[in-house]
Amino acid sequence: MADVVLERVEKRFGDVRAVAGIDLTVRDQEFLILVGPSGCGKTTTLRMIAGLEEVTAGDIRIAGRFVTHLAPRDRDIAMVFQSYALYPHMTVYRNMSFSLKLRGMPKAELDHRVREVATILGLTEHLQRKPRQLSGGQRQRVAVGAALCRQAGVLLFDEPLSNLDAKLRVHMRTELKRLHQSVRSTMVYVTHDQVEAMTMGDRIVIMNGGTICQIGTPLEIYDTPASSFVAGFIGSPPMNFFDGEIAADPEVGVLLTGGLRLPLARPDLASSAGRKVVFGIRPEHISLAESGRAVSDVTWAALGKPAKVPATIEVIEPLGHRVILTARCSAGAFQMETEIHAGIRAGESADLWFDMNRAYLFDPKSEAAI
Amino acid sequence: MLVLPAVFYLGLFIAYPFLMSIYMSFTDAQAGNQKWTYVGPQNYSKVENYQILANDFVLATLPSAEQARQLAAARAQGKIVTEPAGRRFRAIAEVNGRRIPLLEMDKEDDAAFLGGTILQDLDWRIEKAAGEKFRVVAHASDAPVTFGPYADRAALKRELKEDILVPARTSVKTNGKGVVQDPNFTLAVKNTFKYTFGTEIIKLCIGIPCALILNRRFGGRRLLRGLLVIPWVIPIALSAQAWLWILDSTYSVINWCLVHWGILSPSKIINFRGDKDWAMLSVIAVNVWRGFPFTTIVILAGLTAIPDEILERARLDGANAFQRFVHVIAPMVRPILMVSLLFSLIFSFTDFNTIWIITKGGPYDQTQVLSTYAYQLGVNAGYLGKGAAISLFMFPIMAVMVFFMLQFLRREA
Repeated sequence: MADVVLERVEKRFGDVRAVAGIDLTVRDQEFLILVGPSGCGKTTTLRMIAGLEEVTAGDIRIAGRFVTHLAPRDRDIAMVFQSYALYPHMTVYRNMSFSLKLRGMPKAELDHRVREVATILGLTEHLQRKPRQLSGGQRQRVAVGAALCRQAGVLLFDEPLSNLDAKLRVHMRTELKRLHQSVRSTMVYVTHDQVEAMTMGDRIVIMNGGTICQIGTPLEIYDTPASSFVAGFIGSPPMNFFDGEIAADPEVGVLLTGGLRLPLARPDLASSAGRKVVFGIRPEHISLAESGRAVSDVTWAALGKPAKVPATIEVIEPLGHRVILTARCSAGAFQMETEIHAGIRAGESADLWFDMNRAYLFDPKSEAAI
Repeated sequence: MLVLPAVFYLGLFIAYPFLMSIYMSFTDAQAGNQKWTYVGPQNYSKVENYQILANDFVLATLPSAEQARQLAAARAQGKIVTEPAGRRFRAIAEVNGRRIPLLEMDKEDDAAFLGGTILQDLDWRIEKAAGEKFRVVAHASDAPVTFGPYADRAALKRELKEDILVPARTSVKTNGKGVVQDPNFTLAVKNTFKYTFGTEIIKLCIGIPCALILNRRFGGRRLLRGLLVIPWVIPIALSAQAWLWILDSTYSVINWCLVHWGILSPSKIINFRGDKDWAMLSVIAVNVWRGFPFTTIVILAGLTAIPDEILERARLDGANAFQRFVHVIAPMVRPILMVSLLFSLIFSFTDFNTIWIITKGGPYDQTQVLSTYAYQLGVNAGYLGKGAAISLFMFPIMAVMVFFMLQFLRREA
């Protein structure tokens, strides 16, 4: 089995630093997600692990072996591409067995392995078909199957679900997760979709501008985002941000632009009154009633009371079981999430309650969490 | 509404010339001949008589080389005698005390003449035969001995059996007025295939590596791609002038270089357009020079259409450059390659310009292809009917080629 270690790995394209010296350890048998907006360097990082992209500086080790200058085929890896990269002139069977054949595997063993993988993926009856005779989901499975046949220590995925329609994508998400539980090889998975990242990964690496912003389990990243970028990237609809400053008199609070003052259960900030901050709160932590519960199952804790914010409801977007409200308070517009049967209408004024236990403060310059 | 003009156009410019040449090929149309009369398929094929061509007469099979040599040495003293055999006359060679019955003819003069030819004019060779024996063989090095003519097939069959009394190599020559009986036509068919397949194979051999090189990323790639198409876009009438100079019998730049570098002695310079093998190579070379950019560009288009991810996957799968070419690139380019080959084959098969400008079919018809021969016979010599018949011969041959290639493409798709 294999772990992957990246040490100060850097990639330049001319003057552009696509990946700016990152350190990353992918543990053995882990499902690790690289996620970030386009151009953040996640795909480049994956391609450097695969050996498709030269490393400008730094080292890559797979299972303790330095592979930085090895050819892709000598790295004990297999990869699933965004476009599936199936050979159009070969049958499914040949597509899956191609790499094994090139390695000179005996026919009987090769046949056994292809059929085994085909059974896992439900491709047995399609083995003699050509890729163009298959549906998108089936092609996707063939691409995964071709990678699985290699029995490589590390499986790399480059946005493999982005070409599927929404319904199939949800289905394949579950399939891939189940697959990981049964084959237990190390998987590195690149996506720009934060939902995919949250649902599939053992750990998530959030990248931006060629650097790593935060590494952690989905819950860690959700609960304790390291920066306003991470906080804004993970979560749907995204976190609301307001500019403000710390107020300490008579008790610690945050004074938002527009004169709205919210109490904070942060006695450690008593001495930094006047400090500029960015105040962040997720839509699911705003509720319509003081006694009501937010989406999170955390009850109002003793640390901080919910803060009342008078606001006007501007837009209502029903999602089905939930509804997203766009509201405006004196500090600016924000979004919140509530039950569909809340009985609220656009244009109405309401007192909304911010769960101050789930509020975040960020430094406006460094973006780091305070 | 647009259908009518389209039908009119097709009728006027495509169907009319085609049908006209079909009609013409069945008439005695000739230059200066005002009225054309229907003559049936005689332009295509009209047999007048048959001849038997015979060579390598085995005069005797002897147990030792010495005896064979004695027999061959004695032929100067030998003579031909004729004697009646039934209603016919038999020619017998009397050499070194042996009587060798050679042939039988209806007329005594014929028998004596042909017998004399075998005895005096042919080379007598001694050849080793099976079982440690030696044969004396009369061989004609320039033209075979001709028997006939015979008016019909029945006579030909009988004569083939009865005329020659010693083992010999025989073949039948059909004489007639149709193009099928014209030896130059047969030669033109052979030359057309040589020319077509020669150029196509060489075009592929040059085009594939060129396309692979141009598909790589390097500085000046665009410029090189631009330069590549020059031979293809300049009119052949102009570019051929350069080739005429390159292939000139006296001032050829190739000869000059070869002599200058000491590869060739000045007395042995190559007569590109005058020697039969060099002439065919020369016209093939000019066609390849003109046609390979098209092949290259089509293959290049096929290569560009292969997604990068597939080639990257092949690398991850462990394929080296050669394996990537054989297992991935070639199969993916094949359909478009076949289309280009189909076009190119048709162009080469019907090519007139290149050959007409470079050799005009010469020397001695050695580069004459169907299109030039049709022009030569139909326009220059004035036998319009025959010229039309020759052009129409290209049609079924091309139809077969196109059929097979389309069949192949359909199977691929």
